[in-house]
Amino acid sequence: MSKIFKGRPLLQGNAEELAEVSHVGFSPTASYIDVVFKNSKSGIIQDHDNADLYGRDITGKILCLPQSIGSSAGACMMMAAAKVHILPKAMLFSNHVDSLSACGLLMAHNFLEEPIIAIDMLGDEFLNAVKTGDKIKVSEDGTVEIEE
Amino acid sequence: MQPTNPKFEGTDLNLSLTTGTGVSKKDAKPSDPQPKMKLTPEEQEIFDGKHGEIRQKAMKTIVSYGEWFGAEKLVDLTGPVHMALSWGSGAIAPLLEIYEQIIDAGIKTYKPFTANPMPMDHENLAPAPEKREEFDATYSNQERLIEDLLKLGLIDRDSFSCSSYLPEAGNTPKKGDYLAWTESSAINYSNSVIGSRTNRNSVGMDMLCNILGKTPYFGLMTDEGRKAKWLIDVRTKKRPRSMVLGSAIGLKVLEDIPYIIGVDKFLDELPEEQKLSWLKDMGATTASNGAVGLYHVEGTTPEAIEKGRDLLVDDYQTYVIDDEELDRIYNSYPNLWPEGAKPEQVFVGCPHFTVEQLRLSSEKLQEGLKEAGIDTPVLPVHLFAGKKVADAFAKRYPKEAKYFEDVGVKIAHNCPVMYMQTPVISDEPIITSSNKCRVYSIARFFYDKNLMHIITTGELPKEIQKEEEKYE
Repeated sequence: MSKIFKGRPLLQGNAEELAEVSHVGFSPTASYIDVVFKNSKSGIIQDHDNADLYGRDITGKILCLPQSIGSSAGACMMMAAAKVHILPKAMLFSNHVDSLSACGLLMAHNFLEEPIIAIDMLGDEFLNAVKTGDKIKVSEDGTVEIEE
Repeated sequence: MQPTNPKFEGTDLNLSLTTGTGVSKKDAKPSDPQPKMKLTPEEQEIFDGKHGEIRQKAMKTIVSYGEWFGAEKLVDLTGPVHMALSWGSGAIAPLLEIYEQIIDAGIKTYKPFTANPMPMDHENLAPAPEKREEFDATYSNQERLIEDLLKLGLIDRDSFSCSSYLPEAGNTPKKGDYLAWTESSAINYSNSVIGSRTNRNSVGMDMLCNILGKTPYFGLMTDEGRKAKWLIDVRTKKRPRSMVLGSAIGLKVLEDIPYIIGVDKFLDELPEEQKLSWLKDMGATTASNGAVGLYHVEGTTPEAIEKGRDLLVDDYQTYVIDDEELDRIYNSYPNLWPEGAKPEQVFVGCPHFTVEQLRLSSEKLQEGLKEAGIDTPVLPVHLFAGKKVADAFAKRYPKEAKYFEDVGVKIAHNCPVMYMQTPVISDEPIITSSNKCRVYSIARFFYDKNLMHIITTGELPKEIQKEEEKYE
């Protein structure tokens, strides 16, 4: 049986894809450090403080996370990742969206026309329920379905 | 959680889960009312694209941003502009492309601005040639960034400092001014000590707000959003070290606003300039060890003087801080140096020093060297201050400035944190009196007496000596 959660749609869209789950804060700067310093075009996460995502390629996946963390320049890193098309397809936040992701998402969406989906306030239950590799269906009204 | 690797770029790193705006949304639910922004006719015209595509994209971005955080309107900015972006690594190219679209459209910020210190100061830090080369390769967009910032409204090439609000730097807001700033320590100081109003913004969003001259009205911009959820009851026997007290507060309250009691009696003993630098350093530490955008100090900061404990929300929490609690906090800091590493350099002045802090450093160093019976420091000592502040120091205190020259102490104008986060530098064992440097790098933080021991012997101290700080 599917598990259904309802959040607040920030950037609306429909998608079906596999989940990548981070139970700790997602740092755009640390995650894309090789994009930052080495002009890498790889979506493989470099943040070795993030045991859930380290070494995994989240390009085009559905990233499930509590919030993002790190430098106030994190939005620049998200834009750098958007520019080389390695961002996830959707970002699903269990908490209220934070300023780093908000800025990065909006600038990537409005200035780079990156078609990323974002939903926040899905709750701790969502992050406890979802597992990496789960198939997820996202709807534009903010409904998130974890398929069994 | 502390960083285990100094791999982060930028100066506002915070590893706690917070919104980063300075406004906690811990209790928010998707079912909460989602306000729709009410725009003025002029704002609506911009939103509809009647003032060009760039302004339209900027307006759409700040309106969505505001609505996500519960803003019902925009407000006109009234004060000076300070923004954090000052480092030109390859990664900022997409942002620079947007900045260049703004320039091509003939748009500037609504007032001239200052920016954070740059990552390097080769003249005063003099890194080895191979490191300098690698540094320059890392920041390949540096000159392009500076040129872009000048076209967008940067005051001049000497306007890079995180303490640009100091009178000598010339970008000081007034109480009640609406701002859209980045740089956590500058935001924290202007909100708390001056009483102007800014949220904690992200790089990029700051520029969009400042070209429009508007920002969403939520959080720290509002009276309600400036109320304190924590009473911090300081019961130390003496004036606490600003950067350990700030660390304790930041780690406890994260991004909530603290109302601090029990320190005004200590602060009243200080000359005004030293009181302000104590507040600057204490606040910067709440902002870096936590994510505090505003604090109130009873009997000291402007809103606390006006409203007193009415600034506390009804169901506030209390955190008592005594000397034992500060010891616990200090002793919790990890040593991230490679095994067996010995101190190589001393970095002092993060956030950038004031004129008075430079003068006090000269006095402290003279006393320390005299006591040790030596003429010059054993390790290279670097002080950090904005160019305009350093020039004002040299003019006001020529004897002290000459002393630094004589003993080989340099005043650098870059950002020590960004310098230490750059990969080619990031494993250098540096000691510091800044708890902001500590949290963003592997630098080790010491009390002044221990710091002087290291400066005069090159050796780490055997025990912690946390005597009352004579100076701050």
